[in-house]
Formats: sequence, C-alpha cells, structure tokens
Amino acid sequence: MNQVAQGIGKQRRAIQNRKGFPWLLMSPTLVVLVLLGLFPFVYAIRIAAFNISISKPYLPQLFVGLAQYKDLVRDANFINALRVTIIFTVEAVFIQFWLGLGIAMLFQRRILLKGLFRICILVPMVLTPVVVGLMWRFLLYPHAGAVTYYVGVLAKLLGLTAPQFLANPRLALQTLIFIDIWEWTPFMFLILNAGLSSQPPEPYEAAMMDGASKWFIWRTITMPLLRPSIMIALLMRTMDAFRTFDTIFVLTEGGPGNSTETLNIFLTHLGFKFFYTSRASAMALMMLAMIIAMSFAFIKILRKEEVIR
Amino acid sequence: MATTVRQKRARPRLLEWQVQHNWWVYLILAALSIASVLPFLWVVLTAFKDRLTAFSVPPTWIFKPSIESFVTLITFRRMHKFLLNSLIISVSATVLSVGIGTFAAYTLARFRFAGRDDVAFWILTNRMLPPVAVIIPMFMIFQTVHLLDTHIGLIILYTGMQLPFVVWMLRGYFEDIPRALEEAAWVDGDSWFAAFRKITLPLVTPAITATAIFVMILSWNEYAFALFITGPNSKTLPPTVVTFMVERSVEWNQLGAACIFIALPILIFVLFVQRYFVRGLTMGMMRQLEKGRQAE
Repeated sequence: MNQVAQGIGKQRRAIQNRKGFPWLLMSPTLVVLVLLGLFPFVYAIRIAAFNISISKPYLPQLFVGLAQYKDLVRDANFINALRVTIIFTVEAVFIQFWLGLGIAMLFQRRILLKGLFRICILVPMVLTPVVVGLMWRFLLYPHAGAVTYYVGVLAKLLGLTAPQFLANPRLALQTLIFIDIWEWTPFMFLILNAGLSSQPPEPYEAAMMDGASKWFIWRTITMPLLRPSIMIALLMRTMDAFRTFDTIFVLTEGGPGNSTETLNIFLTHLGFKFFYTSRASAMALMMLAMIIAMSFAFIKILRKEEVIR
Repeated sequence: MATTVRQKRARPRLLEWQVQHNWWVYLILAALSIASVLPFLWVVLTAFKDRLTAFSVPPTWIFKPSIESFVTLITFRRMHKFLLNSLIISVSATVLSVGIGTFAAYTLARFRFAGRDDVAFWILTNRMLPPVAVIIPMFMIFQTVHLLDTHIGLIILYTGMQLPFVVWMLRGYFEDIPRALEEAAWVDGDSWFAAFRKITLPLVTPAITATAIFVMILSWNEYAFALFITGPNSKTLPPTVVTFMVERSVEWNQLGAACIFIALPILIFVLFVQRYFVRGLTMGMMRQLEKGRQAE
C-alpha cells in the first residue's frame, strides 16, 4: 500500500515538476489558434484603421483612425442589414422554438414507427446548407419550379395572383425565414426532445397523485425542468441564425434590392464586391463585438439558472 | 442512495398520462415527415430526368429514368476532381484538428495549472467568430504568404475552425474518466505517455470517433471560406456546384445530380450515427449542465 502511494506520488511529482508540461501538450492547438484566431483579429483591427482597398493597391494607405466605424454606423445600408438580420433571427428562432417544442412533446407519447418519423424529420438539418439553398431555389423558380407551380394552381383556384416567392422584395425575407424554419426546426426538436426524455419521473408521480391537471403539470413541472435545454437550444440557434450565410447567399444574395441583405451578406458585398477592405474589416469587428455581447448575455442567464436550481 | 434507485428504474415515460395512439398525432407526424423529405426527394427525382423533363410545366412525376446528368457531370464538368479536392481537404483537416485537439482537451481535463479556465474559454471564443468576419484578414494574409487557392491553405483554415469544437467536446469525455485508472498504470511503472496510450485513449476512442465524424461533416459542407479562398486548383464541391447556377442556362437535372454528390454520402452516414450527431451538435454543453445537476 505504501509502495503504491509512493509510486503515484512519484509520477505526479515528476509531471508537476515540469511546470511547462501542460503548455507543451497544448502548444500545437494554441499555435494554430493564435495564427488563425488571434492574429487575423489583430490584423483586422489594423486594416480597419486605414483606408485600404485590395482592388486599388496603388492608392496611398492613410491612417484614418475610427472613421471607418463612424461611416459604417451612418450608412443606411448597414442599418438596413442590421434590421434584416434582427427580423430574420428573431422570427425564425421564435417559430422554430414553438414548433420544435410541439414536435418534441408529441414524441413523448408512445407511438408506433417513432424511429422512422424521427429520421424523416431530421433530414432537412442533415442536408448540406448549400444544397438546401440550391434545392429551394429550384423548387421556387418562377413558373417552372414545383412549389411555384402547385402554389400557382392553388392561387388560381382561389382567384388570387400567384406569389413570387423570391422576386418580390416584401415576400423574399419571409420566404428565407420559412426555409430557415424548415431547415432548423429539427435541431430545436432534437435538443428539446433530449431534455424532455431525461426528466425525472418523481415530480410527475407526485403531481398526478395530487390530481393536478395536464396544463398545470406542463406549466409548473415540464417547462421549469426543461429550462436548461431551452436555454441551450435558443443560444445555439440564435447565434447560428445571426450568422446564416450559405442558404441566403445561394438563394437571393441579399436581393431583390437589399431586402434580404443580412449583416453577413452586406459584409461580403463590402469586402468582395466593392472591395472596401478596411470598412469590411471594421464591420467584421463590429459583428464580432455583437456576437460576443450576445453570448455573454446568454452565459450570464445560464449561470443564473444554475444558481437558482 | 436515492440516485442509485433512480438509475435502476426504467427510463421514465414522462407524459404517459396522455392518451395513446391518437390518430391526429400520426397525421401530424406523417405530414411533417413528408414535408421534410419530399423536397430533397424531388431533387433526387430530377437528377434522373433528361434536360427537357427536368424543367417541364407542369412538373413530371412519371418518366423514364436516365443517368445522362451523372455522365455529363463526370465527363464534361470533371466533378470527380472537385470530389477529390473535397475529400483530401476534409480528411486532412479532420485528422489534424482531432490529432492536435485531443492533447489539448486531455490537458485541460487532467492538469491543474494557473490560467487553465482562461485558456479553455479563449479557445471557445474562437468558435464564435463568424466565418465571413475572418475571411477578409485571412484573405490578405494568404495573399501575402501565397496560400490562396491551395489545398494546404484550406486545410489549415478548417483545422483552426474545428479545433475549438474538438477541444470542448473531448474535454468533457476526458473528465469523465477516473484519474485513478491512470494512476494505477503509473504504479506499474508506466510513463505518463504509456498510461495515456494504454488506458485513457482506448476509453475515449468512441468519443474521438464521434468528434471526427462531426468535424468531417462540417468541413465537407463548408462553403464561405471555400468560396473566397479557393480557385480552380483547390475548389471543393459546395462552391463548384453553386457556380453551375450562374451560367446562362441552368440545367436542373445536372444540378440535382450534383446535389446528390454532395449531400447523399453525408445524409446516409448521419442517419446511421444519429446518436453521435446529436451529441456533436450540443458540443458537450448538455453534458456539463447534466453534470452540474447530478453534483447537487
């Protein structure tokens, strides 16, 4: 016994004596992340303080301080992009949450073919985002797309004009939100379903013995117990919806006009269409600040939840 | 004591008090399933049509299948080249990020040292960066070091992009393995590395596999970086397929076939490893919370 303790002690001491050892093990990861995370970040701060355009390398590079940020905040297109992003994120996440919760509640029943239903419902989420974009562009193609055609027939029967899903500036954003809901409701469902399935039976047994109503049980037991899962689902979906790029870029590229131009798309246009490199960098940093602020808020809420529990 | 009793009981069916086998439940689930599957099924059908039926009005449901589109993709568009690019880049990025990340995850789980939590958090913040925000400085850096349109450039980028995920996912699993197991090996005179290789690594192999699968899928699907950083040499599948659409006449049967090229391998794969996929998505956050709940 004494020998055992000595052996462990020896090894432990040997490892702890080498103070740099943990850092040595982590060094490859840290090097990669410094090169690809920290360095670009610092570089972006530098670029944003000048007036660089990669399409005009012959122009003298002038130090402009914070002018790029100031111009950006005054830019109507930036404000529009911010508005579009917020509408897109809030509306999509809100509907996804309630739909996902509904489906997850249905899955708590004992039903036949549960596995088959689950696999089918997961399909949209598993598809490559670019493929989702292309697919819906095909389905919603004016006149000939399958969805456009059948909706057109239906509209004719009802005496309405056929909607132009992606060409109508008013409808385009709603169409994109619909596609995002189609694609990501399964994600909400998965997390909420996992949360529901792992709830302990005791509170339910007690409530049922007291003869509580279904609605009362749902409101006072199911939802409070589900809170951590809800927070995680909302956090991850909000962050992902906020930076949706692939599907929007493939489907509308921000158009028609700038009716579906989210921050990400606007940033891409600034950087790679107009080649305002410095302004794009400034904008990237502002987006980063927004995302960090958002995640801090969420983490704070999550922590508070844990304390209360 | 109470916890052991709970674990022994069968998994609770929590809403069992609700009526079973309601027809409307099946109706809703069937409708949802069809709505989820039908769009992609339509694309698959289209891929087997010829040029004219692919774009007919009204849509054709019954037709003679042809593989014309797949043949054109290989012979005329040289899709196999881009498929190979995608494979090389996503496999290399997966091996690299999982290989490097495993050690970092192990370190963060096992050793106590000053600044450990700060490092862990900093690693996580790297995941918050929206890809588009990184692209502009990255584009300029790659331009200076001549890494634009190379396989290596994209591999490095994807490795960096996936590392935070790998570290956070694996850290939770390493924390679950009792330290005593490794210490037992130390007693037998094994070095630190031998104990890690013989005891700990085999225990986390399933978790590493799951993480690798997930990283592989994310790299395979990635579009934004690939769009701006690659060119004819190193283009992966997603940006390649999107370029088909901007041509003068879009041939939807070819586009459908290309979509199958990208999506079907992943689709089949994920449906087999569903369980891991869910875990990957929540990135071990659920685990942390559950652990907190158990600790109380």
